[in-house]
Amino acid sequence: MTEKPKLGVYICHCGINIAATVDVEEVTEYAQSLPNVVVARNYSYMCSDPGQLLIKNDIKEHGLNRVVVASCSPRMHEPTFRKALQEVGLNPYYLEMANIREQGSWVHEDREAATAKAKTLVAAAVAKVRLLEPLTSREVDAEPAALVIGAGIAGIQAALDIADAGFKVYLVEKSPSVGGRMAQLDKTFPTLDCSACILTPKMVDAANHPNIELLAYSEVEEVGGFVGNFDVKVRKKARYVDVSKCTGCGDCAKECRLANRFPNEFDEGLGKRSAIYLPFPQAVPAKYTIDPEKCLFLTRGRCGKSPKCVDACRAEAIDFEQKDEIVTFKVGAIVVATGFDVFDPAKKPEYGYTDYPNVITGLEMERLVSASGPTGGDIVVHNGEEEITPKEIAFIQCVGSRDQSVGNEYCSRVCCMYTAKQAHLIKDKIPDATVKVYYMDVRAFGKGFEEFYDRVRREGIRYVRGNPSEIFKRGNKLVVKVEDTLTATPLEDEFDLVVLAVGLEPRSDDRKIIDLLRLSQSPDRFFLEAHPKLRPVDTASDGVFLAGCCQGPKDIPDTVAQAKGAAASALIPLARGKVAIDAQVAEVIEDTCRGCGFCVSICPYTAIELVTINRMGHSVEVARVNEALCKGCGSCSAGCLSNSIQPRSFRDRQILPQIAALGGIR
Amino acid sequence: MSEQFEPNIVAFLCNWCSYAGADLAGTSRIQYPANIKIIRVMCSGRVNPLYVVNALQQGADGVLVSGCHPGDCHYMEGNFYARRRLKLLKELLEFTGVDPRRFNMSWVSASEGHKWKEVVEKAVEDARAAGPFDQFRRRQIGW
Amino acid sequence: MDLDKLRKTAAEIVSRDDVKYLLGWRRGTFGYRVAPYFIEDAAGVDELIFSPLCISNLATYLTLVEKLPVPRGQEPDQRKVALLVKGCDSRAVAQLLVEKGIKREEVVVIGLPCPGMVDRELLAEKYPETEAAAEVKWDGEDFLLVGEGGETAIPRTEVLAEKCRLCRHPNPVISDLTIGEPVEPWATADDSGVAEIEAKETAERWAYWEEQFSKCIRCYSCRNACPLCYCEDCILDRLDPTWVNRAVNFSENTAFHLARAFHLAGRCIECGECERVCPAGIPLGKLNRKLARTVREEYGFEPGLDPEAEPFQAGYKPDDPEEFIL
Repeated sequence: MTEKPKLGVYICHCGINIAATVDVEEVTEYAQSLPNVVVARNYSYMCSDPGQLLIKNDIKEHGLNRVVVASCSPRMHEPTFRKALQEVGLNPYYLEMANIREQGSWVHEDREAATAKAKTLVAAAVAKVRLLEPLTSREVDAEPAALVIGAGIAGIQAALDIADAGFKVYLVEKSPSVGGRMAQLDKTFPTLDCSACILTPKMVDAANHPNIELLAYSEVEEVGGFVGNFDVKVRKKARYVDVSKCTGCGDCAKECRLANRFPNEFDEGLGKRSAIYLPFPQAVPAKYTIDPEKCLFLTRGRCGKSPKCVDACRAEAIDFEQKDEIVTFKVGAIVVATGFDVFDPAKKPEYGYTDYPNVITGLEMERLVSASGPTGGDIVVHNGEEEITPKEIAFIQCVGSRDQSVGNEYCSRVCCMYTAKQAHLIKDKIPDATVKVYYMDVRAFGKGFEEFYDRVRREGIRYVRGNPSEIFKRGNKLVVKVEDTLTATPLEDEFDLVVLAVGLEPRSDDRKIIDLLRLSQSPDRFFLEAHPKLRPVDTASDGVFLAGCCQGPKDIPDTVAQAKGAAASALIPLARGKVAIDAQVAEVIEDTCRGCGFCVSICPYTAIELVTINRMGHSVEVARVNEALCKGCGSCSAGCLSNSIQPRSFRDRQILPQIAALGGIR
Repeated sequence: MSEQFEPNIVAFLCNWCSYAGADLAGTSRIQYPANIKIIRVMCSGRVNPLYVVNALQQGADGVLVSGCHPGDCHYMEGNFYARRRLKLLKELLEFTGVDPRRFNMSWVSASEGHKWKEVVEKAVEDARAAGPFDQFRRRQIGW
Repeated sequence: MDLDKLRKTAAEIVSRDDVKYLLGWRRGTFGYRVAPYFIEDAAGVDELIFSPLCISNLATYLTLVEKLPVPRGQEPDQRKVALLVKGCDSRAVAQLLVEKGIKREEVVVIGLPCPGMVDRELLAEKYPETEAAAEVKWDGEDFLLVGEGGETAIPRTEVLAEKCRLCRHPNPVISDLTIGEPVEPWATADDSGVAEIEAKETAERWAYWEEQFSKCIRCYSCRNACPLCYCEDCILDRLDPTWVNRAVNFSENTAFHLARAFHLAGRCIECGECERVCPAGIPLGKLNRKLARTVREEYGFEPGLDPEAEPFQAGYKPDDPEEFIL
């Protein structure tokens, strides 16, 4: 027989967040009148140390055995209060929270209605908490390895940190080389270090690290299991080149019948590559890849008498028989670092990106200005008639950012600064150039940003406040039509080159990752973190962490910081070697189970099986839950006709009184 | 003018999408009617359709069940089960003459604070139009 | 119907060592009544009948029979139960197999193609004078009433039971052996009873069921007669938690009937036993048939046809209907 419930009810003011709308005194008084309530109190911040102490002291003094906290969402502070209970020896699952902030004071202005609702929610929590049961969470071993998806700077950094801590890392990159977006950049703002110079060593480190297994040109196909024990299936796409033999000499690409025919993705299409290619000279692994959609032999079955690459390759590395390979492994944690796409300015036709070759994107500018780029760092563009070195150059900010018309309300955070940087680089390379930047607002919020912005203005870059309405051609010049909103002057300025400071967008193939890992998206379509403030690298899927721009636009330092954060979080289960299994798992009441197996069919985790037991001399089948696999969703329970399988803490006998309390009939 | 009827709505929300979406509505200070009272369950698949009947019997004028969008379920499949079961319940309620406006189901994701407001407003308007459901209330034992 | 063959087969089956008893029908205590008949040895087969009055679904007894505690040192009786099934009854057997309520090796299923059953109450109402000692037979498109005053042919449609008018599976869907030739399924009428209610306004529907459910005396016959309501501990009996109060009043009765009908959604094989046994005359079959039709038309599923099928309520399809969801 369990002891009689003795309840403490604690109503939080949350400063004035709750107290301004909910009459906390009235709610407290009401709570005091509810059955089994020994003590009801209110306090300015229940989650604070003194607030928690209040609860702890009452538990000790009054011998409370159940606690209700009416405050913010349980998604916010349930762990906090659970811990408080535990610290004074009360089972942490003897807690129920009433959400009177997110679902009360913050959404209802009417004080009377909000107070009445708070009272009802407290009554429901009281009704439920009396019937809660003590639970103990258990632990299972965690696989001492991690999966990192995406090998841009975020993925590389996360992989290196985890590997340096002594754990195995599978680093999966879908393109032929690691490096990601950062490898495409020339210099980084605001310090102007050479992007490749700081990134390449890390790329090599990642490839050579004894704890990192690099799976480049590979894609994650399946993820099963749960935190501590994910089962991962990766497809290693066929390169048609034996990487153990390829020396990276490049003879094959030179000889390819389709040599330098295709736009090079790495150069944003400004340079050309062959059907067999290395994305860029510093690529890691430095192994060639045959593009199966372009290669004559792979698409048509023949390539002259024999493929030229085969003839050219002295290492005999070309292997047209190569097949995709499936690799499976287990990991304890996953870091998602899948990066971003740049906004496609074709969606803003008024800027003529698809019409004029001298309207280019910021990322194209990076390749153009880069010493390793297609022009060797010379800024030359085609104005439709001839190759020129542009003397009058415009930058247009916020293309595809802060723009509801293309569905991107957010600020991409990097464009103001990369524009300033590129303007500076242009001035450096073409000292007599005139550079104008059309902006809405300049956001120079990071360390050293404002100083850098100041510097480029002093270098003679002109900033014009206005959002251009149109770009058109006049003679061999591009005309930017804009209103200078500071002087209310309509302008038609002429340029040789217009750079669109395109924003960052979620990857177009993000859906695949969402489905694989059960992630959510925030309204901006980037991956949603578990909490915007307190759990910025976590996701709703335990053991899956976010790093870099897949979670939202950010610059390199922020990306690296988040990657290190994600790595540290991923290391928690790996380092502990254990993960806690939620105690709120389903339990079978064998006496009433009729062994129909509905729950077995329903369970998404194959956590339930039928076992034969002896019931009064008869062999009968009943369901049994594997608690290590059960995630406590309760779908089995709602499908059980005899209600013989019940998730702990969400049993029918705990929910029905809640319904009654909310319904108001007692 | 007579006072407007304020219906009592009991809602069952899954922890990961709809409850989080309702929390987001809170953090974003999106105002909606206080008629709705939420019971948090881990998954919409946990919602036994008989809860809906029970809520109507115990004083709710309307019931709302909300889960993750199809394909987004934190538990992969729970909302699919919920959808099938609650469709059957909805058919049964309608057939027995329970005003269909008393039961609503929605998909609200963790980022759809605005949609949550719209769903609540619809549920409240629907239940208000259906009126108090006194005929079905559990009779109080009088001794 | 070749009764001799039926009785001979039955005698052979009950004589088998691995058969505990055979479940069939025999004449009841009065008039058109027919009683379930548990035959334990071959001598009993002479009373076995199969006529248009054998409307009850014997599959109910497969799960209704209590499993008594087995005394220490003894083995439970593992012998099979043989039973006679019509088309609808056989669907109950198939659904029980789906739900593991029984195991295939525990039963011997004797299939009887069924040309349709008589609604006994309708018959007694229309032909009260013959009830005392009458027998009913199939005769082509008619029923033949055989009594002291000789034979009377009654057009089939006049007294055919409602569930048989709507029957889509008159031949057993599962059986170890079949006696009699398969019958040609007949064109079924629309389920006018359900359609009639659907055509009403919401408030009228409520009023209709309010009247019906108010009559309920909560005898639980509907539940007990149902071959698929066989939880040993029904949730509607439970006190902790209490889903339905024991009080007999409209509110609790309605909650009870909604729960009962819902639990049968995607499971009910439309044998009509619930409605037939209801002493208050509540048209419970309509509730079940309404949901059965939804499941059939909107999900393309019919329970009790395939013993290997996935249980409907324990499954889903990604493209299940969801037009009702906001």
